[in-house]
Amino acid sequence: MPTSILGPYTRTIVTGVIIWITVVFCFTLMPNAYVGIFPFFEWMETTWFGVIGKTWGAAFAFVQTIHLLSLALLGGAVLAAEGRILGLLLTDVSAQIIIERCHVLLVWALVLLISTGVFMACGVALKVYYLPVFWYKMLALGTGILFHFYIRKPLFRFDLQQINPIVVKMTAIASILVWFMVAATGRWIGFSG
Amino acid sequence: MNELIYNFAVWLDDTAYSAMLHESYYMYNWVESTHVLTLMISLGMLFLIDLRMLGYAFPDVPASKIAERLNVPMLIGFSVMFVTGILLFYAVPVRSSQSLWFRIKLVLLVACAVNAYLFHRRMSDSVSTWDGDAKAPDRIRLGAWLSLGFWSIVVICGRFIAYDWMDCIRDQPAFIEFLAGCIEGQTRF
Repeated sequence: MPTSILGPYTRTIVTGVIIWITVVFCFTLMPNAYVGIFPFFEWMETTWFGVIGKTWGAAFAFVQTIHLLSLALLGGAVLAAEGRILGLLLTDVSAQIIIERCHVLLVWALVLLISTGVFMACGVALKVYYLPVFWYKMLALGTGILFHFYIRKPLFRFDLQQINPIVVKMTAIASILVWFMVAATGRWIGFSG
Repeated sequence: MNELIYNFAVWLDDTAYSAMLHESYYMYNWVESTHVLTLMISLGMLFLIDLRMLGYAFPDVPASKIAERLNVPMLIGFSVMFVTGILLFYAVPVRSSQSLWFRIKLVLLVACAVNAYLFHRRMSDSVSTWDGDAKAPDRIRLGAWLSLGFWSIVVICGRFIAYDWMDCIRDQPAFIEFLAGCIEGQTRF
């Protein structure tokens, strides 16, 4: 496989540009859109999820726990896969096998994280609406999903030996950082407001 | 016994570093965040090992490799969680020591340790006969299920510690007061 950056990496570059445009949008034109989505957040608190989350603290805390356990699974899947790519973990097992198996776990963890996250957001919708860190988390989550499915996954479909090793290692490190950012900003929501 | 624990907690609470840690907004939050985020390493690795034994993850990778290679980062994660957990207890000793959830969590942590010991012993005794199988034998799978169950409840209890539903400062049924170790006439909470 050629290692030219304009060859097999076109899709990667396009996704990178989309992420970059999204980030620029969030810090420039976002304020106008921000006002427009306020009624949606008001509506979220009136849904069943919102009512349950606000009324039963134990239900909210229980869902938070599932959210945390899903985060642990996601962390395990990311660290095992990226650890293998960086040559730190499971070095005597095929990298492709570890990457593919961890991808399945990551998808399950993401489904659980997003489902429980929506429930939790409904319970405190107006609180999180005013929290900058909540929007940073959404930005990090969107970046993480786009990065994983449209940059990392297509890239690592190729034989790792044939990809520029610096690109491989930087992608693995970026993956760890972006998911850590998602987790850290999520934790910070708990301390804010 | 409960009075001894209470007196010890009050003594800890009176130390300068406990107050400093508790009152420091950033330091306390850093310690708590580290405790929670290290879940991604410790429980993350543990889940992968358990799911491998149950046949839900890495079915085509030898079980011994997953267990041995992921054991080190898992233990590093648990060490960080242990240290930060002690610091969190030290920051709020009286309330923590009388938290029903904290007490359940401690009992479950002991159960987790015993289960992990038995799990590893059983595994090292027999792994050569089933290492390549997608699912581990029944006894190992039982250990994996127990591990997942115990740790999930540990996380639930850890989360519930933050809530004051069962705190001694509130009026509680006698049974809860007994389990939480509330002291008659206590002045510190």
